[in-house]
Amino acid sequence: MFFLRPAELTDLPQIEAIAVKSAIGITSLPPDRDRLIDKITNSRYAFADEVDIPGEESYFFVLENAATGEIVGTSGLAAAAGFHDRFYSYRNEIIVHASQELKVSNKIHALHLCHDLTGFSLLTSFYIDPSFADSDLPQLLSRARLLYVAEQRHRFADKLAAENPGVCNAEGRSPFWDAVGRRFFNMDYPQAEQLSGGRSKTFIAELMPQYPIYVPLLPAAAKLAIGQLHPDGELPFSILMDEGFEADTYVDIFDGGPTVEARVETLRTVRLQRRLTLLPNITAAAGETTEAIDAAEAGTAVLSIIANTKSEGFRATIAPAVFGLGADGNHVNFSRETALLIDVDDGDAVRVVALDPDSHHLTGASC
Amino acid sequence: MVIVRSIRRDDLAALMALVGVAGVGLTTLPNNEGLLRGRIEASLASFAGTAEKADEQWVFVMEDIAAARLVGICAIAGAVGLREPWYSYRVGTVVHASRELGIFTRTPTLFLSNDHTGASELCSLFLAPDYRVGRNGALLSKSRFMFMAEFSDRFSRKVIAELRGVSDSAGRSPFWESLGRHFFSMDFAEADYLTGIGKKSFVAELMPKHPLYSSFLSKEAQSVIGETHELTRPARRLLEQEGFRYEGHVDIFDAGPALESNLEDIDAIKKSSPHGVKALSVVAEASSAVMLISNARMSDFRVGLGRCLVTSDGVTLDPDVAKALDVTVGDAVRLVALRPAERAASAAHLAHI
Repeated sequence: MFFLRPAELTDLPQIEAIAVKSAIGITSLPPDRDRLIDKITNSRYAFADEVDIPGEESYFFVLENAATGEIVGTSGLAAAAGFHDRFYSYRNEIIVHASQELKVSNKIHALHLCHDLTGFSLLTSFYIDPSFADSDLPQLLSRARLLYVAEQRHRFADKLAAENPGVCNAEGRSPFWDAVGRRFFNMDYPQAEQLSGGRSKTFIAELMPQYPIYVPLLPAAAKLAIGQLHPDGELPFSILMDEGFEADTYVDIFDGGPTVEARVETLRTVRLQRRLTLLPNITAAAGETTEAIDAAEAGTAVLSIIANTKSEGFRATIAPAVFGLGADGNHVNFSRETALLIDVDDGDAVRVVALDPDSHHLTGASC
Repeated sequence: MVIVRSIRRDDLAALMALVGVAGVGLTTLPNNEGLLRGRIEASLASFAGTAEKADEQWVFVMEDIAAARLVGICAIAGAVGLREPWYSYRVGTVVHASRELGIFTRTPTLFLSNDHTGASELCSLFLAPDYRVGRNGALLSKSRFMFMAEFSDRFSRKVIAELRGVSDSAGRSPFWESLGRHFFSMDFAEADYLTGIGKKSFVAELMPKHPLYSSFLSKEAQSVIGETHELTRPARRLLEQEGFRYEGHVDIFDAGPALESNLEDIDAIKKSSPHGVKALSVVAEASSAVMLISNARMSDFRVGLGRCLVTSDGVTLDPDVAKALDVTVGDAVRLVALRPAERAASAAHLAHI
């Protein structure tokens, strides 16, 4: 079984190996030991701190194989994009150039450098071991974060955003960077990032063109790259699309990749998840397996993402669960093994959402 | 003898024949009879003093008196941009620098501006190809300064001249191809024509309003910003001799330069001087530089080239010149040497008298 939990410093060697593998594209997972140590340390403080309003906290999760201790994926949350400073994006805009007199009306696509997403909470650091790409684990990795957000609403903004990697050509170069950023930097983006010494992207963003960019003036390859997703980003992107994120408005200022955004309340997982109580007294002894759930309930068990309601001790996993139990319908049951894995006892609250929410509306189960 | 004089209503047919050969790039002289008639009427109203400030324009023609032929045209607009917005790009500089990243990028950037609103404009200069010899070009261009010196209260302090930008023999402007075309699917020639018939502000409103980093334009387009069309270089040189300078404003369509000067700094204006005609007699060639000589009449303004003898009690003119300028003894004239290099000498000469 696999479970998601906050990263610990003891995970460093494994995380470092992942960072090297993921290389360019996931800039929030730098292949640099000191920066990774900072990232984990900051995350531990974030999970532990009493937080009133979203600030500079960044939360870093790892997906662990409970049997082996192996880490097979990472994901993260940043409480406030561009905290202390600004978060830059290009906003797609249409400027209509029209003249009744000349009977002309042209829609001109322009990219406006903006700070619109400053203060949004960010989904970051998504990485899954490719051998698990076709499993349910990417869902756990991405969506369990949203259960954490649902439980810890005060730690996050009302809106979420996520950057996605943009396309690059056969030589690994970004046509968007080459047409835009390079004119002002005269170097490759990874080089610019390296030179910035791991400081925020804001540092680089301030050197980018501040005036709107008229898209018709860009070369064809750069035009095509606007809002285009790198194939490596398809899996996490598709999960976000299913959640209801919008991808049409913002693009990354460096590689033109789509930056998606949404209000927390509108996300599918957030709308459909429920905060339920683990039904007391009927769980069996330790070591009981999933199959041992009461036969009468087995037919109604739904494969679900289940998370506890702790912060520092956050755990989430995928397991069959039965909802709508108890007189009030606000109870849930699942195996002892699952309860142990996510560190909950009888009577504890959990956040639960069906792995496939469209076919299993939890509210229906309580009727 | 060739003179430059105020345009007259009966010049229309000859003017049509003249602009027929001008071709693309002479924006303010469209090959359109109605518009040319309109310009003549506006000009006549200006000479008569009945035009509104925003409409004032003075059109002059060059006439070969002996051949009874119109061979050139030039004009001055009293104040541009008071009826419709006057657009130009200001070529500014944007620096992106980071000491830590070792980056220092200087990017010429085009800012859409109305900076020249209210300026007087030298415009519509065209000389028939078979007259582009000798001093005709200089006379045509500089004749306007004699008018402006005589009636300086009619003009703005800032004087500009927009020069034709670079285009190839087919009228293809690299700047337009790289910029304007994306915003306005038409050829430069067509946009230029629309401009000439008074629709420039409509066209301009279709152009990008935000500053443009020139590095987003083609190399060819970048290289012609502020550059003058090959055929317009002599005109540029004449203006520069008089003190006009390119101060970083260019045309929004072809990026041709706008040259600028303050009126009082224009050399021909500064060094010209009014005199009374004392006598008419042949003046020996050696006794005088070639002078721009104008009468002092607004509605029948005339400028010609000739030699003259200046003394403290007046000027002696050649009878032929006096006849061409329609002046006689006792009338007022204005003088300045045609060549700027000879003006200091002539000023010194005057000082001795």
